[in-house]
Amino acid sequence: MSSPLSKPQIIAHIQKSLNYTVFDSKWIPCSAKFVCLGNFARGTGVLQIYEVQHGEAQLIKEVEKAKPIKCGTFGASSLQQRHIATGDFDGNLHIWNLEALDVPVYTTKAHKEIVNSIDGVGGLGIGDGAPEIVTGSRDGTVKVWDPRQKDLPVANMEPVEGETKRDCWTVAFGHAFNDQDRCVCAGYDNGDIKLFDLRNMSLRWETNIKNGVCCVEFDRKDINMNKLVATSLEGKFHVFDTRTQHPTKGFASVSEKAHKATIWQVRHLPQNRDIFMTAGGAGNLHLWKYEYPAQRSKKDSDGADVGVAGSVSLLQNATLSTQPIASLDWSPDKQGLCVCSGFDQTVRVLIVTKLNVA
Amino acid sequence: MLLKVVLLLFYSSYIITEFSLSAMSGEAVFSRQSSTAGFSTKVPVEHLDYDYIEKCKDVKYLEKILRILRSGEEGIYPHLIKFCESHLEKLNPNSRALRKENPVATEASFSKDEWNQIVDDLRTWTEETKKTETLLKEESVFEDLSDVKIPPIRSSNCFVPPNKTSLPKQTRNSSKRVVPRDYQEWDKFNVEEECGKIDGSMQKIDPPAQLNSGHLNIRREVDASSLSHQEKLLLANREKDKGNEAFRANDYEEAVAYYSRSLSIFPTVNAYNNRAQAEIRLEHWHNAMTDCLQVLELEPRNKKALLRRATVYYHMGKFQMASEDLRTVLQEEPNNPAAMQLLSKIEKKMSDCPPEQQSRGKKILIEEVEEDLCYSKEEQEEQRARPVQPSQPVGGEESSAAPAERGDMGNAQKKPHSRGDGGPHTDTSNSHHGPWRGKGGTSDKYKVPEESKEKVANGSSKRGSTASAQGNKGTTGGEKAKETVNLDAPCGALPPHLSRLKNEGNLLFKNGQFADALEKYSQAIQGYTDSGMDSPEDLCLLYSNRAACYLKDGNSQDCIQDCTRALELQPFSLKPLLRRAMAYESLERYRKAYVDYKTVLQIDTSVQAAHDSVNRITRMLIEEDGAEWREKLPDIPLVPLSAQQHRREEPPSQQVLQARAEKASRDAERRAEVRFTALKQEGNDFVKKGQYQEALGKYAECLKLKPKECAIYTNRALCYLKLQRFGEAKQDCDAALELEPDNKKAFFRRALANKGLQDYLACSSDLQEVLQLDPNVQEAEKELEEVTVLLRQSLARTQDKPRKTVAITEVDGEEAVTEAPNCVSSCTGDNISINLKPSSAYEFGQSLNAARCCGNAAACAKLLASTEPELLPQYLSNQLDGHTISFIVKALDSHLLEEKPDLAYRHLDQLHTADRFRVALTMLEKDERRHVTQLFERLSAVESAEFTKDEVQNLANKYI
Repeated sequence: MSSPLSKPQIIAHIQKSLNYTVFDSKWIPCSAKFVCLGNFARGTGVLQIYEVQHGEAQLIKEVEKAKPIKCGTFGASSLQQRHIATGDFDGNLHIWNLEALDVPVYTTKAHKEIVNSIDGVGGLGIGDGAPEIVTGSRDGTVKVWDPRQKDLPVANMEPVEGETKRDCWTVAFGHAFNDQDRCVCAGYDNGDIKLFDLRNMSLRWETNIKNGVCCVEFDRKDINMNKLVATSLEGKFHVFDTRTQHPTKGFASVSEKAHKATIWQVRHLPQNRDIFMTAGGAGNLHLWKYEYPAQRSKKDSDGADVGVAGSVSLLQNATLSTQPIASLDWSPDKQGLCVCSGFDQTVRVLIVTKLNVA
Repeated sequence: MLLKVVLLLFYSSYIITEFSLSAMSGEAVFSRQSSTAGFSTKVPVEHLDYDYIEKCKDVKYLEKILRILRSGEEGIYPHLIKFCESHLEKLNPNSRALRKENPVATEASFSKDEWNQIVDDLRTWTEETKKTETLLKEESVFEDLSDVKIPPIRSSNCFVPPNKTSLPKQTRNSSKRVVPRDYQEWDKFNVEEECGKIDGSMQKIDPPAQLNSGHLNIRREVDASSLSHQEKLLLANREKDKGNEAFRANDYEEAVAYYSRSLSIFPTVNAYNNRAQAEIRLEHWHNAMTDCLQVLELEPRNKKALLRRATVYYHMGKFQMASEDLRTVLQEEPNNPAAMQLLSKIEKKMSDCPPEQQSRGKKILIEEVEEDLCYSKEEQEEQRARPVQPSQPVGGEESSAAPAERGDMGNAQKKPHSRGDGGPHTDTSNSHHGPWRGKGGTSDKYKVPEESKEKVANGSSKRGSTASAQGNKGTTGGEKAKETVNLDAPCGALPPHLSRLKNEGNLLFKNGQFADALEKYSQAIQGYTDSGMDSPEDLCLLYSNRAACYLKDGNSQDCIQDCTRALELQPFSLKPLLRRAMAYESLERYRKAYVDYKTVLQIDTSVQAAHDSVNRITRMLIEEDGAEWREKLPDIPLVPLSAQQHRREEPPSQQVLQARAEKASRDAERRAEVRFTALKQEGNDFVKKGQYQEALGKYAECLKLKPKECAIYTNRALCYLKLQRFGEAKQDCDAALELEPDNKKAFFRRALANKGLQDYLACSSDLQEVLQLDPNVQEAEKELEEVTVLLRQSLARTQDKPRKTVAITEVDGEEAVTEAPNCVSSCTGDNISINLKPSSAYEFGQSLNAARCCGNAAACAKLLASTEPELLPQYLSNQLDGHTISFIVKALDSHLLEEKPDLAYRHLDQLHTADRFRVALTMLEKDERRHVTQLFERLSAVESAEFTKDEVQNLANKYI
């Protein structure tokens, strides 16, 4: 094995204890600031902005909202505006201007129940085309929103009448490499993963990984679908090579069990799509690297193309806490910088070194 | 899954559950696993043993053993666990059983330096980001956030039933087929547009018909016009990252697409470089080349780009050019493994082809031009050798012009080649063959248009015989002698006496006697016009050669004139164009120079010097004219196809031949180079040790290898100085200055030599020269002060004492400086050496100054007598001042007028055309003016066939 210092190291740079439960933390693009979203013990929501300064996270702004805020994204906002879109426990979708947090820029009652997950695309220069926000909720629906259109989603993926509604735990955008093509991937509590093609408004692919899907993410939102990582409740994660879709077999995948508990989050390094970090229920982080196979596709007996999965190798792991790490976000601007928050009511700024050599 | 749901609502209770779970998870999970493991495979207790574990090769079983050991079921044996782990690691370093939970790293896990670096890095980043953010905010204030560019809202409220999968399943398809046809058409349009943008010269990649590759639809251009600068940078960088990722995944097409996007947003060197690399992987050599050139335009010495260009050259079969690029890289970074590897590969390739064809000078031309200093014999050889109009059958010309002396083709292989960086080298025995050889190589050297290829092939066999026949006729007995030069070798269609003149010119040029060469060429041209022949090629060559002399002499004006004449005779010949371009450039007429360089590149894209100059001038013009500099350019003439020479159009056989020949020459050259460097190094070492005598020997050997290496001359001069052999030191400095007219060291050392020779005047003028070149040389300043004092003393002495006392013979019995004997003039007498045979403006200026400073009008008269009146304005260049005029007038009046009134008249006739004459004239003082009047009075009194009184009167009007 290589010497320990040549490997990437995960450093806990800043730890900040909070007086509320934090559900999500996100870097504000083009800044050294991050946003923490959560709820106070009294049942109200909170949004805080911190700035990294002199090795400390300094609170810049804090606002209390009526409902606990579950998730947020900057993905559909322009670099200049940098508005955050959030989903709360009541099923509301809000877009906030961080400079003026009193009144949301956009608000809609998106779901009947809690918004579990949110993702955005078309902003920040990531992905061509219209800015869109996708939300997944316990009410079983996945809805796509355009901030320019109020109250009505531009796309709504919901089970047909009579089908049992599954709790949608996670959503992610991908395949947004031109104005028209765009896909949404959703993971459900029963282990279903569904890939919706927004261009054709059709279900493109689905699979079941047998355990609740806690998090899905494409390695890049704004390229022709390349890889999709899905993490599951029992500590496994699957990497799908989404370049080659076989008519019956779908995408090739490789899976790895690393954590002894749920993998709550997976986040790809913005500067290198083949490196990603998983955050686990036992308070640990694992840094992985995906290695492509020599040939990414081959012909099967019928002459159809079938994908070949690569392999994943563990670059580094670290235990931060005894509580789950529920959210993780890489800084889009500084390679190796990330913020994570867990149920120990702490937000941490981490530095991962030597990601280039990995 | 239940857990999570619960958590979302009742997080507090969840925390407790989770806490207890994870607290016990370690043991609990393990005990369960190990017990089941023990159950199914039954690891016996005796297997938990050092010997057994050591012998066990079954990774799975070892993992099981490890699990049991760790569980502590059978007792805890820390050493055995460690042993088992290390053994397992040997067998399978990636085994999951070896994964351990690491604590998160903290400051303590790093050395102080590492930690500081990490923290500093973060701090600088935060500071930078703050600035960027402020910028971004400021920009957003001014920008109105219109959503014009954003696509419309998706047709709303579409309904997709995720559970009803049967229907969509049928329509499921690979990503490729989702794309409707008109979309591809749109894409195609975009590609064409981009092609047009890159001035149509490079072909764009055709999207491959590869299934499952979605990047056909990736737009290669991004409309970033509405973005602020900050955003552009960010986006360009992100697109580049995407390209990098695609590249790493071996998806080069996609990588190219993303790099193109990045470049369309904001062009950067890195993106160009990376795209070049991706294109190389795709084997799109021309695209890769374009990108490399782009980088080199932005950053002329970018190693990566050079390396990549070398790779491209290598694959295009241009080994010579490839190895040059590699050498440049290795010069900057001597241990670059990639460069070394490729170089050895190229060398192998080149040595695989045994040299049998005559070497070509082509590449050498390029390097020479690059270096811009050292023309060597190949220069002239080439000039003569090159078929001026490639479209005409070469065979015929060849035979008529075939050199007499060249009996064997092999001769050429021994010919050492000059490399730009190494400077030329000649080995004396061979050097004289230069100008008469090389014909045989021409047909390969220059790309002959396809249609004439056959003729060339036919001609080549004929050539040998005709050549030898001619040779027998034309040569004299001395030709075999080592040092003899056959000056009667026929040249083209020139009659013997003109050939002789031309050959003499070539020889003189080669020896660096440019002024003499110039005279020969002028005579040849004169003779040519007198004879009324009709052979434009030869005349063109003569003009072109004379232009080279002018260029060397720094007389850009005449150089341009000659080049223009040559070009009138033979449009689109490379050499005159190149020379004219250089002349224009030195006159700072950049636009014209640019046009000429561009024309050169149209004729032959591989002339590196032209590329470099174009880049340089482009920068200059942009500075001068701003963004619209192109609009101010004169039209660049379109070179007819017949005159263009693209190396890549050569058929492979040509390339092989070329490679062989190049290899041969390169070998010889490399040997010379290696030896040269070694000798130089030894010499330098001796100098450091103070063993100057030994160093002298080494340097002398160096100079035998490369007589035009300026540094060696200056070094040797230093040795001579140290050995107090001032005369020789001065000689070396002179030689160095001839090679590099603004070499500070040479000036300084000559100053010291002059001081040693007690020639304080020359010394001070040299020192002033040094200070003019670089005002910061303190040694020079000090010396200058010292010398000024000495100069005064010596002047005082000459007035007091009889001049005889000061002799030149102080130079320890060694021969005096070559120029010195002439200057011992009897009339005024002094110890100053005046070069009465100036060959350049500089030397003339030196001599004139020397004479003027000591008021030696006789010396000045001699100087003028030995100078062609026509050259006077040019020698004076812009140095003319009132004192000089009055001094020249004085010299003419007192000495020249009586002896050679014609010459005096001609001088006066030329003098007033010199630069600054009018200004200088106004500076004349009263009695100086009187002198002028006096001179003209006396001149008009002289009866002469050369001029009439009226003419004198006219001339006088210009002076008075």
